[in-house]
Amino acid sequence: MIRVNELTKGFDDLRRGWVAALDHVSFEVHPGEIYGLLGPNGAGKTTCLRILSTVLRPTGGSATIAGYDVTTHPTEVRQRIGFMSNNTGIYDRMTAWEMVEYYGRLYGLEEEVLKRRLDSIFTTLQMHDFRDTLGAKMSTGMKQKVSIARAIVHDPPVLIFDEPTSGLDVLVARKVLSTVQSLKDQGKCIIFSTHIMREVEKLCDRIAIIHKGIILAAGTLPELQDKYEQPDTEELFFDLIEQHDKP
Amino acid sequence: MNLKNIRLIFLREVRDQLRDRRTLFMVAVLPLLLYPALGIGMLQMTLLFTEQPRTVVILGEKHLPQPQLLDGDRFVSNWFINPDDASKLKVITDAPASTSSGDGVPDERQTRLIGQAQTLRTRVDEHAAKKAELDQLEVELRKLLKRTPTTAELGIGAEAATPAGQTTSNKLTELTRQIRDLKAKLVVIDHELSDLFAASQIQVLIVVPDGLKENIERVNHLIAEREMQSDALMSYPRPTIVKNRADDKSVVAYSRVREVLDAWEQEILRQRLSSANLPQELPNPVGSSQLDLAAEEQLSANVWSKMFPALLVIMAVTGAFYPAVDVAAGEKERGTMETLLICPATRTEIVLGKFLTVMCFSMSTALLNLMSIGMTGNYMLSARGAGAGAMAKMGEVSLPSLPALAWLLALLIPLSALFSALCLALATFARSSKEGQYYLTPLLMVSIGLTVFCLSPAVEIYPVHQASWFYSVMPVVGIALLLKALLLNPGNTEALIFAGPVLVTSIGYSLLALWWAIEQFSSEGVLFREGERFEPALWFKHLLRDKEPTPSFTEAGFCFVMIMLAQFASMRAFGQSIASVAPEQMGEAMMRLLVIQQVAIIACPALFMGLILTTSVRQTFRLRWPGWKFVVIAALLPFTLHPLSLELVASLSWFFPQLPEGAARLMKTMSDHEQPLWLILLSFAAAPAICEELAFRGFILTGFSRNGRTGLAIGLSAVTFGVMHMIPQQVFNATLLGLVLGLIAVRSGSLLPGVVFHFFFNSLAVVRERVGTAIADGHTEELQQSAWRWFVSIEPSGLRYGWPTLLICGASSTLMLLWVARHNQARTLSAANHPMFADKLAAVKTIAEPQA
Repeated sequence: MIRVNELTKGFDDLRRGWVAALDHVSFEVHPGEIYGLLGPNGAGKTTCLRILSTVLRPTGGSATIAGYDVTTHPTEVRQRIGFMSNNTGIYDRMTAWEMVEYYGRLYGLEEEVLKRRLDSIFTTLQMHDFRDTLGAKMSTGMKQKVSIARAIVHDPPVLIFDEPTSGLDVLVARKVLSTVQSLKDQGKCIIFSTHIMREVEKLCDRIAIIHKGIILAAGTLPELQDKYEQPDTEELFFDLIEQHDKP
Repeated sequence: MNLKNIRLIFLREVRDQLRDRRTLFMVAVLPLLLYPALGIGMLQMTLLFTEQPRTVVILGEKHLPQPQLLDGDRFVSNWFINPDDASKLKVITDAPASTSSGDGVPDERQTRLIGQAQTLRTRVDEHAAKKAELDQLEVELRKLLKRTPTTAELGIGAEAATPAGQTTSNKLTELTRQIRDLKAKLVVIDHELSDLFAASQIQVLIVVPDGLKENIERVNHLIAEREMQSDALMSYPRPTIVKNRADDKSVVAYSRVREVLDAWEQEILRQRLSSANLPQELPNPVGSSQLDLAAEEQLSANVWSKMFPALLVIMAVTGAFYPAVDVAAGEKERGTMETLLICPATRTEIVLGKFLTVMCFSMSTALLNLMSIGMTGNYMLSARGAGAGAMAKMGEVSLPSLPALAWLLALLIPLSALFSALCLALATFARSSKEGQYYLTPLLMVSIGLTVFCLSPAVEIYPVHQASWFYSVMPVVGIALLLKALLLNPGNTEALIFAGPVLVTSIGYSLLALWWAIEQFSSEGVLFREGERFEPALWFKHLLRDKEPTPSFTEAGFCFVMIMLAQFASMRAFGQSIASVAPEQMGEAMMRLLVIQQVAIIACPALFMGLILTTSVRQTFRLRWPGWKFVVIAALLPFTLHPLSLELVASLSWFFPQLPEGAARLMKTMSDHEQPLWLILLSFAAAPAICEELAFRGFILTGFSRNGRTGLAIGLSAVTFGVMHMIPQQVFNATLLGLVLGLIAVRSGSLLPGVVFHFFFNSLAVVRERVGTAIADGHTEELQQSAWRWFVSIEPSGLRYGWPTLLICGASSTLMLLWVARHNQARTLSAANHPMFADKLAAVKTIAEPQA
């Protein structure tokens, strides 16, 4: 479903000169699977996911989603993905219902289909009690729900979550994670980035540990634990990064 | 493009804006409240405002002749056109009885003022005496000069040393010296006087000479008796009025004093005429009368035609700006931009949706503001009640007629479109709303500048004149001027011939601005600009450290700006050095300057930047050998293109404003036969060919084409090349040539063919003039007989080409250009020009992780 091949992205930085945010990264994600991108801040996770969502263009390599190349067929790709990150805010001067409805229309849903879809999403996410609240008046939890509703309104086969729980309290984070889990159970192809080990352990089928734009290790969690002989995920993570940073 | 998406985005943005209190306030509430409030404020001001009386001091009041000029501390109100004005001047005289305090004792201020006036008077008298002396000396000098033959007539022979000649020349030098001294003294006195006058609180000082009354009576008598034998008898000392033109108070007071004195003098004249039994008509042999045909509605049309275009421009800008900042920079700031970017709508659809929103608000702001101003102004001007007297003088100002309003609405559309697209592009570029607000000021300044230009009565599109067509295609100016003409006379069908060009070009500019906005919206660098701390030192280090083989887009743009700035800065210096050259050496000096200008202003910035900012000077300036075919084509093309370009510009001469005098003079130097041909060719052909090519096809074109968009790069470098030429005709011509040159440079991958083309093209312009005049010298007849007359003709402006020539030239030019466009020698080179990022990454990688 998602196929990333030697993906590379560089940019010009005042302080460091030419910097590679993403350096020949390759992986694949299949339907019904959650693929975790684990890495510290600035590892290149967001850059990678932004390229997958066609917002950024890669400087090298390629990526296809549902058979469409992200650089040559961005519109088709965007039709088939739901993207949510802490950068995808919601409008202050729109109600929850209007917001999700607006995106549903942009995705080209028929009015009748849209209406049914909205109803079912608002029911499953328990959003009916704040459907007419303006974005500016919502709590963080409400906003996150609207964001998820917005991302899945067109029922996309591929979902991209970029640190969806960052900045959320435990209760809301738990809700978000359970939503992601249920989406997986519906057979969606999900890519999920985070820097929190617990989430990876709980949610992901396979993971890639990414640091300074390079994938240091990839596989299922047990595979990695076996390979590096480190049963503790957190330790495994630190070992890999330390080893990489060693001169 | 999906219209449904555009509509969706547009509707959402409009609803969003309408829910925003700030925008609503700016767009709707402010204009509706502001102008009536201003109106009330102005009415209050006029009620409260009283003009402070200005001080006039009269020395020698007792010498004033009849009729009575003064009434206590005022002028007699009869002498004013509006008798109320008498209270606006306070007169202080040196007559003992003039005290206003009534008890006969002058108050302190009066005494002080009289004292100051007296001091001033002594200096004024001194000034007058010196001036008289000077006049006399000058008369003497003139007499002397008339008597003495000029040095040229004297010859260089022996007579020059005759004793008579000696004395005259001695006297001459003596006189000149005296005059110079006197003039110097006068300057000193003038300075002292103006200092004294500024320090005093007197706005106007009138010095009446002794015996003025008696003198006038004496002359009256002489005239009555018809004894006007000599001028000397008739002349007598006249009063002096001292004022300061640089001081507004003094100017106002003086204009009133002038009014009084004129009326008063008329009365004295009348008495003189009647006592001499002469007709009252004597002083007015012509005595023309005025007939003002301005009807009420014309007067108001005039007011509106001046006000509305200016207001419309300013309101369209401000109306577009705030919503633009909110829908672009604001969206980035609130973090909803990325949400929008991942929806299936394309960037173009998003920009169009936002653009329509901004335009909608721009138009409504402009219309609401104009309506509010119109209504308020109308109401205030028609309120001729108490207090509004001062305003009522302007006459009834009715609102513009319906056709005029229809025009206003029609022209508002392209105007708003242009500003909306511009504002949207700027706002997209900004990181935050706050940064966006900063861009308003420059935009507003430029629009106000253009508006002020259009407000000037001398600038108009109709009646049609030399620059009309040119004005009509200028952005903003065209619309404003057409509107001006149409508001003045809505039925003016003749001005409508400009509607076509104005609308077409306005829409063109709007599309260009819109394209820019879309570009901005598609640029990652702009959309995801991080709030990185900006340090000039760091940035400079980055420039020098992370150099690349060729310049970047920004560096190329900066190079052009540098060239333009240098040109601007050197304009004065060059003008001065030209002015200081003797006319017979003008041609040579001009050419020398031309070469210096080319090298210093055009080639140097580019070369300097190329050396400092890039690692490969060779690649930057395309220093490589081209294929010989390119050189041959580049040498042939000028011969076929030159006639075409010449005739094109000539056939468009009605469009361009007249050539400025300086440029015309320069052109003349080009055809000046006194100058050696090689010098002309060096300055007009060789220097530009090398310098301009280095800058425009070297640094600038290479920089512009770095991100792989060659077509855009050629277009941009051609436009910059054109703009650099300043004069509209040349801008047009040079832009077209820039396209050809850019194509040649890109296709051949070398600078050389461009230099060859440029040299031959410019040389042809020089040679054409010479050949033209050479043939005109006696061969005109011959030419007209021969078959050549189909191809060339001799006009006063030089050699001109006939249509067969143009046909042949057009065909062969097309063929050659096609060949150039098809052959891409630079392909192999361009791969090296655009180092794939992968190479770089490899380099970075090896540095970052040597162990890997």
